[in-house]
Amino acid sequence: MFVVALIYAFLVGVSSLESGIKIMGEDTTERLFSAAGNPIAALCIGILGTILVQSSSASTSIIVGLVATGKLGVDDAVPMAMGANIGTTVTNTLVSLGHIRQSSEFRRAFAAATVHDFFNVLAVAILLPLEVFFGIISSTAEAISERLVGSAGSEWKSPIKAWVKEPVSWLKSFWEAVGTSGNLQGTLMVVSGLVIILLALAFITKNMRSLVADRVERSVNAMLSKGGGAAALVLGLVITIAVQSSSITTSILIPLAGAGVITLRNAYPVTLGANVGTTITALLASLATGAPEALTVALAHTTFNVFGIFLLYVIPLARDWPILAAERLADVAVKRRTTAVAYVAVVFVILPLVGVALLG
Amino acid sequence: MVLSFFKGSSGEGDFAPIVTRAVTMLGDARHSFDLASMVLLTDAEASSVADDVRATDERINQAEQELRSDLVVHVAVQGTADIGSVLGFTLLLKKVERIGDQAKNILELAEQGVSFADSSERERLFAERQELSALFAEAAELLNASDADTDAITEYTNRANVAVAHYQSKIDEFMTSERPGHEVVPLAIYYRFLRRIGANLVGIVRTSVAPLPHVDYLDDGATDTDD
Repeated sequence: MFVVALIYAFLVGVSSLESGIKIMGEDTTERLFSAAGNPIAALCIGILGTILVQSSSASTSIIVGLVATGKLGVDDAVPMAMGANIGTTVTNTLVSLGHIRQSSEFRRAFAAATVHDFFNVLAVAILLPLEVFFGIISSTAEAISERLVGSAGSEWKSPIKAWVKEPVSWLKSFWEAVGTSGNLQGTLMVVSGLVIILLALAFITKNMRSLVADRVERSVNAMLSKGGGAAALVLGLVITIAVQSSSITTSILIPLAGAGVITLRNAYPVTLGANVGTTITALLASLATGAPEALTVALAHTTFNVFGIFLLYVIPLARDWPILAAERLADVAVKRRTTAVAYVAVVFVILPLVGVALLG
Repeated sequence: MVLSFFKGSSGEGDFAPIVTRAVTMLGDARHSFDLASMVLLTDAEASSVADDVRATDERINQAEQELRSDLVVHVAVQGTADIGSVLGFTLLLKKVERIGDQAKNILELAEQGVSFADSSERERLFAERQELSALFAEAAELLNASDADTDAITEYTNRANVAVAHYQSKIDEFMTSERPGHEVVPLAIYYRFLRRIGANLVGIVRTSVAPLPHVDYLDDGATDTDD
């Protein structure tokens, strides 16, 4: 019941965020989202935002909420969601640095962490241009969204939006009662929404992790005895949906890989499953809005990951690319440990900051 | 694999599956010991049981490796709250695995031509074999018990330690014996294996209830854990 309440709170947070943006003036919102007009800058914003909140579930839910306001377009939001995929991998990369003192352990752990990075980066490298020039992901997501809830620009009667309407209006009335209005009120609604989203997700993750720990342990043991493949991918998906966090799923793999209990090739499909599983939160968040565009963006996030799996896992030729890249980088990082630290700093902080500064 | 996620918990506690398999390993180790020591004490050919003993030893080794992986997964998923139990089980499984090795060593004695079938001490050796074999079964029962019976464990430990002390006294006797070397050396080696098996059985039972104190590194080095 407590988890159900937390999910409800999460949905209230998303709706509050949406309301807050709508209250803000046109000029303010235009300034806020102008940087997202460039797809590379939007990608970098997605990376940085996800690192800031340490959760792709949170950042993509926020993106969905922003799209629902109509101030952020689907085309601008899709690269942000791709950036969220990259940003979330910093967590398990940092976990792998905990093994830095033991060479053989570190090699295995770091490779298991960075294979996730390489998959996401390669997927973005292939799919972002296709999205920018042909809209391959957003059009697929839009087609699915239209079938489910209707076309963009319309409003569908989301039952969840009706359920969360009351607490959001209480929040709005509260900020009005303390004497705020316009942009300030909008900002406070946004901040309240963000705080609620982050707290709710943090507690959901914590509680679900405890609740399903035995099941996760049992299924990981089963996976170790039977190997990887499609079943491992589905397992990664299921565990991530259950604990509402891809970082938890992938972070469990790192010490196992470091200890040599699981091979890189067997850990890889679990990571891919986690990538897809984490998109469920954004899908849930989109239900708290009445905008088909929000659902489109959430579906775009899922579609991006599914397409990425098809290109970089299902196709045998490409399956080894992230694995070989991760192994090569791990070999270098073992010889020179500063490489690992520099890698994290450059890929997750410096490059995205430069991207936003130059192109935003 | 995925379906195992949706199955309900057995409700027996986190380490119940590990205990169950450890008990099975202990049963296998007993089987190996019984076969190997039988060959040494009778006219049976070593080759008649060699494949069985070696296959059993491999099974024990594989189980130990799998359970060690399971313990690593446990720590990765559940955290380090019960790290003491994890360490204890790691040690316990290693001790069972060593017993399997020691049973194989007894077989190797027989394969090298050693036989006590015509020995004047044959009856006593048989009795000691029976006694040690029974200790396996008791250790398995104590390990499998849902609640640790500290009195039963203490009583078992005392009895097993008496047996271990007896084996050591026999080794000491043979080391200073006037009897020909070809008579006493194989006996001394055999008793050394029995002593190690006995000590490992004691360690298994004690580790199952109090992992950290009975890892024995907390007594300022007084206890030698190498068995």
